[in-house]
Amino acid sequence: MSADRFHLGWFYSKGFGPKAWRHAWAGSAVGRFARPDMAVDLARSMERAGFDYLMIEDSSNVPYTYQGSHDAYLRHSVDTPKLDPTVLAPFLVAATERLGVVVTCSTTEYHPFMLARKMNALDHVSEGRIGWNVVTGSNDGGAQNYGREKQFPHDERYDMADEFLELTHRLWDAWDPDAVVLDLERGVFADGSKVHPVHFEGKYFKSRGPLSAPRSPQGSPVICQAGGSPRGRRFAAQWAETIIASADTPEQMKAYRDEVRAKAVEAGRNPDHVKVLFLASPIVADTHADAEARLAADLTLTEDRIQYGLAHFSRLTGIDFSQFHLDEPLPSLKSNGHQSMAAGFEGKVLRNLLTRAQRFGSDAFVGTPEEVAAVMDEFMQEVGGDGFLIVNSYFSRRYVMEICDGLVPELQRRGLTRTRYEHAHFRDNLLAF
Amino acid sequence: MSANRFHLAWFGAGGFGVKSWRKTWSGNGGWDWTSPQLFIDLAMALERACFDYLIIEDSSYVPDAYGGNAKAYLASATATPKLDPTVLAPVLAQATSKIGIVPTLSVTEYHPYMLARKINTMDHMSGGRTGWNIVTSSSHRAAQNYGHDQQVEHDLRYDMADEFFELACKLWDSWDADAVALDERNGVWADHTKVHTVDFAGKFFSSRGPLNANRSPQGRPVFTQAGGSDRGKEFAASTADSIICGTAGGVAEMKRFRGDVHQRMTRLGRPTGACKILFMCSPVVGETDAEAREKRAQQIAFAEEHPELGLLHLSRHSGIDFSVFPLDEPIPDTVSTNGHQQLLRQAIGLTPREFLRRTQGAVEMVGSPETIAAQMDEIMQEVGGDGFLISNFDLNRRYISEITDGLVPALQRRGLVRTEYSHPLFRDNLLEF
Repeated sequence: MSADRFHLGWFYSKGFGPKAWRHAWAGSAVGRFARPDMAVDLARSMERAGFDYLMIEDSSNVPYTYQGSHDAYLRHSVDTPKLDPTVLAPFLVAATERLGVVVTCSTTEYHPFMLARKMNALDHVSEGRIGWNVVTGSNDGGAQNYGREKQFPHDERYDMADEFLELTHRLWDAWDPDAVVLDLERGVFADGSKVHPVHFEGKYFKSRGPLSAPRSPQGSPVICQAGGSPRGRRFAAQWAETIIASADTPEQMKAYRDEVRAKAVEAGRNPDHVKVLFLASPIVADTHADAEARLAADLTLTEDRIQYGLAHFSRLTGIDFSQFHLDEPLPSLKSNGHQSMAAGFEGKVLRNLLTRAQRFGSDAFVGTPEEVAAVMDEFMQEVGGDGFLIVNSYFSRRYVMEICDGLVPELQRRGLTRTRYEHAHFRDNLLAF
Repeated sequence: MSANRFHLAWFGAGGFGVKSWRKTWSGNGGWDWTSPQLFIDLAMALERACFDYLIIEDSSYVPDAYGGNAKAYLASATATPKLDPTVLAPVLAQATSKIGIVPTLSVTEYHPYMLARKINTMDHMSGGRTGWNIVTSSSHRAAQNYGHDQQVEHDLRYDMADEFFELACKLWDSWDADAVALDERNGVWADHTKVHTVDFAGKFFSSRGPLNANRSPQGRPVFTQAGGSDRGKEFAASTADSIICGTAGGVAEMKRFRGDVHQRMTRLGRPTGACKILFMCSPVVGETDAEAREKRAQQIAFAEEHPELGLLHLSRHSGIDFSVFPLDEPIPDTVSTNGHQQLLRQAIGLTPREFLRRTQGAVEMVGSPETIAAQMDEIMQEVGGDGFLISNFDLNRRYISEITDGLVPALQRRGLVRTEYSHPLFRDNLLEF
């Protein structure tokens, strides 16, 4: 027996920024990170392997939370630099035909009209393959670039995001599907009675509308979300069509997914319309021993990695981790940023957390392609769905090939993932099983 | 004797929107405009003809100034719909390798940090071929889409633009050119002492900075601007690398406009060669002069048959409902606008019907390639420079070919325009002569 078919995505961690640069197999990526070729090659490989989507992560500042300085962030290239993902997306779309492309944009940086317009254009140009990873911004430094002293309080950011989503959906629905009539005889391009202003006035946002372009192939982008806090989960249950989840064991994964599905039902939605994908960093090699050796190397702390991890945790939580002892349990932490992450740190020894600062998900996905495919199968049988999101902060083209031409064909042989796209639109493929 | 070499650019009137759609040679323009293929074909043709740049015009609302509702605009696809130009620009950059790509972005819609970031990314990805056409937005409807009750007053918009420009430039300059060290041995990606906060707190905008990406190939994009009012010209004289002059009527006025801008530049301490003033024109090219005259006569006949089509633009740009003005009575000088002041000034005193007969641009150009090339030569000898910006609201592929494969080779034979690009960066080509 094997699991039902499941979905695959790729979490493009560190966004449109440098990937491997001090690692073997970095190739020309070191000096060319600002050019689109690496991401384009990734997207093409993913499409070859039948992935659902590539999600481009983003944040918009050079952080200075750790030690109150930009130094560690720039020295080790921690979460910076990142170029704008909405500029990368058109390149990826032009290089592919079926793959979904998900762009991260923040509800505290965009005005809803501008975001609605960009997503609409991306969906038109991609012929229905765009998604939006909704984030609310977490680091004060990001807010300061946009002229505010600090981020809005955590839960209020989600109240704003609720309103933001409501308004953008109204804008996406402002043109009826049959508004464009294209009557050449009478010279009518669109019917004005089928294009509606939205006249939205909320607590945070206001817009007259209508959108300045017709309904796009999907109508609206596929909504992707990653919030792990209680308020974040409530938001996800309401809006998300695919959720980025982080859990180590099948039990934790199942519990998380069951909760998401129950919440979706409470919100009046079909739980099958929310695909929960779990972050995973598989290590696949010619032999099991080779893969284990690579894992061991990944978990070995060097001074650079300690600095990297401390800077990274500091940015995500807004707390300066230089104040804590590496070998003592962490106190209770209060974050206005990634709350679920900060909550999970309490009582844990910092050095242990740092060994995993660049790993995501379970360490069970380590071995030959056959072995890893078997473990993924087992996990999904136990969890019930809906698939995995590959992530590797410092990947190289070699890693992309190992996943797309090594691991995925093995999953396909087991009938676990798709071998061809059934539909033209991203959402239809995501909901196909 | 002939004129010095001059520049050619293309003004993508109507932005990323519907072009010719119900006329001979429209192809399937009404159906396939959201696929960017027409624009890709345009950009590739312009590059073949060695144009300096392509501007993608933009506005972000469905107009309803004419007749008090959107019906006429939507029925004729006039000035709407328009998809987001920042999605098209990367597609065009990917399809070309030499030509400058200039999207239009409004200082009343973007936050400076977001704009600086997007342009920086585009400049990286295009290898230094990105420009920014700076506009301030004129319509109340655009402002209302972005949550404001109405548009900011004309001159105040330019005060905002001044500050916006200052802040954006500081962000583009926030990484020293040598900040990225890429020192693999010592593990230094970038040197934090060479990345500077901007700590800008202005009257309208504030931002901490630095930009979260390193300096792009050009550092700052090429700035283009079209302001025709006194305040607009002052802004352009202080900031623009290239000015779009769309309102001068006749050679004497073109010369006067250029002299005026040069005088302002000299007063502001800028060398006059630092800004290339290009004059809008819409040549009607035929096999013979007679054939071209016949085409122009058909254009005028069409305009007179459909007077509302021309007045839609005048209404949108001025906010005045011209549907209530008699077609054969002069437009009174009592009308005024918070929008495009120069355009309205030109219409005053003419009857709407007379206004419709005018050519799009400075001088009417109708004839064979040789005839128009000779005319352009003469005009440039008289005006002194710096070239032309071709524009055509009713764009189709045949027109593109008439210009790039007919007119331009005639200009090249006379040694008036470039036959190859000398530099990889857009600005270097623009300032070459």
